[in-house]
Amino acid sequence: MNDLQEIWVYLSGLPLFSLVLTLLAYEIGLRLHHWSGRQPLVNPVAVAILIVLAVLVVAEMPYETYFEGAQFIHFLLGTATVSLAVPIAQGWRLLKGRIPVLLMATLAGGAVSIASASLLGLLLDLPDALLLPLVAKSVTAPIAMGIVDGTGISPTLTAIYAVLTGILGAISVRYLLDAIGMRQWADRGFALGIAAHGIGTSRAFSVHPDAGAFASIAMGLHGIAGAILIPPLLPWLRGLLV
Amino acid sequence: MIRGLLILMLFQGLGELISTGFSLSVPGPVIGMACLLVVLLLREKIDTDLATVAASFSQHLGLLFVPAAVGVVSFLPVLSTHGWAVALVLLLSVAITIVTTALVLRLLSPEITAAESDEGSGKAKPFKGR
Repeated sequence: MNDLQEIWVYLSGLPLFSLVLTLLAYEIGLRLHHWSGRQPLVNPVAVAILIVLAVLVVAEMPYETYFEGAQFIHFLLGTATVSLAVPIAQGWRLLKGRIPVLLMATLAGGAVSIASASLLGLLLDLPDALLLPLVAKSVTAPIAMGIVDGTGISPTLTAIYAVLTGILGAISVRYLLDAIGMRQWADRGFALGIAAHGIGTSRAFSVHPDAGAFASIAMGLHGIAGAILIPPLLPWLRGLLV
Repeated sequence: MIRGLLILMLFQGLGELISTGFSLSVPGPVIGMACLLVVLLLREKIDTDLATVAASFSQHLGLLFVPAAVGVVSFLPVLSTHGWAVALVLLLSVAITIVTTALVLRLLSPEITAAESDEGSGKAKPFKGR
């Protein structure tokens, strides 16, 4: 038994353990998502987070130890952010003369996202630690986490909020847009990409290619707009909220 | 795959350089993304290797924020009392955002929207789905 314990101590100290755990949990999430018939509720990322959490609790492994290994995956967030330029460039010719309109819609959507979340959070009396990450949740997680970096706002909650927002948006979008009679695939996708970034975008792709293309453009534009506009506004927003 | 990753990381590095060099509040990767976008638009053709790597990044973007999101363990006590309120805020906020964005699109381009979309669905095959 002693040997087994030594092996475990050795293995769990390697980055390999965290890396395998993260990838395996995500792979299980992908399978479940596929089996469920691509139900937005059975989201691969949410499933992966829950599995990793459960394993850490059972193995009594502190989060810091896990993150030491998993930081190699975490690092790629920046690289993935750069890669968002590609879908925008690919979709550029689809945009034709609509760029000013799309930019206006991006700014309106972003502003409404921040304002509505902050106001509702204040109304429901959320504590500051839970309230402030709402400011960045409107943009795609890798960019949102870059924005809050060094501001004292939790990147963890920012990521969690982004995932939940994506899931909730992907579930509700159909009913919302049907209710207001919006039929064009491109515009439906754009609205979903603005509000529910990555998860919304993959949902849009599974419904219609035009919707997916516009959703990824929307996600990228919103990310750029958020990264430029949110940091200078942050002190002011913080003053309003806290 | 290697060339694609290399291009992305070089632009990431360039972005970090510009961001810290000029002490900008915009994160380095976002500046790198903007630079890459400009280059791609000027060059018209997109490197196939880069397109492949970018497609797999967009497809599995969610995997990359699992490590940070697992840090939610330290927030479980606060979330156990406020979890439902947070969920309600996020749901209402995302719904309001979707509807507002859609309405702004429609208000600003009532006729163009319909025409462009019909045209678009006819000949646009710029993306493969999943």
